Amino acid sequence: MKVLVVDDFATMRKIVKNVLRQINIENVVEAENGKHALNVLKSEEIDLIISDWMMPEMTGIEFLKACKEDDEKKKIPFIMVTAEGQKDSVMEAIKSGVDNYIVKPFTPDKLKDAIDKARARAGK
Amino acid sequence: MDVKYINPFINAAQTVFKTMLGIEAKMGKPILKNERTTSGDISGIMGLAGDRKGTICISFHDKGALFVFKTLVGEECDTVNPEVVDSIGELTNIISGQARKEFEQAGLNLKAAIPMVVVGKNVEVNFITKIPIISLPFHFSVNNNGAREVMYLDFSFE
Repeated sequence: MKVLVVDDFATMRKIVKNVLRQINIENVVEAENGKHALNVLKSEEIDLIISDWMMPEMTGIEFLKACKEDDEKKKIPFIMVTAEGQKDSVMEAIKSGVDNYIVKPFTPDKLKDAIDKARARAGK
Repeated sequence: MDVKYINPFINAAQTVFKTMLGIEAKMGKPILKNERTTSGDISGIMGLAGDRKGTICISFHDKGALFVFKTLVGEECDTVNPEVVDSIGELTNIISGQARKEFEQAGLNLKAAIPMVVVGKNVEVNFITKIPIISLPFHFSVNNNGAREVMYLDFSFE
């Protein structure tokens, strides 16, 4: 499985990659915002997207909407990473078709569970 | 200071250590600080606003910060570099987020700003509220040989 991790903060991308490694997912591609991620999707076959919310240039919700409005990209399971206190944001993401979301802090088990549920919801 | 302002920080620190670092953090004896200075060598500082106004400062000594970086990111590092500093900023962010969740359950809504990380001993911090500052030490093991480090969670609330 190839995962696209989208976060403007390089250290957070590394943290997510490290958690993915702990659940035996090693094949990870990174992008620093939604716009960059859309470019990555043009050239890479991605099986799962894990995206942060707050990012410059193109936010997570804008990126989510762009994916879910595209016939091909909408099939890719999409997980949004949120911080606490973003309940309204979560509702907006659900309305926009997010397959799952995960709130920081999270354990490897919690991320695995979020991935399994997102893939099931997306029919993967 | 009402105990209801302390427990959310204790719960947040211990929850984040368990989930993100996979280790237990044991709290030592809280102290009241009359100096507006950082307790460790690398410190993530964050302002809180909303129903209450305050500041939290999460501080590690070098070895503790390097352990946090190694555990969070999965890479070895011998010296404090910008990536290590960033990892302390992220940890501060996550602990603050967890604390805000705990405060919400206690009926207080708080918002946080972006954390700032300072490197250096006894750096003066303009805590936006009055002294004394409450300093909560959390002890944790950094290897199997019994070596321990400490994280200080200092905060001040109005």
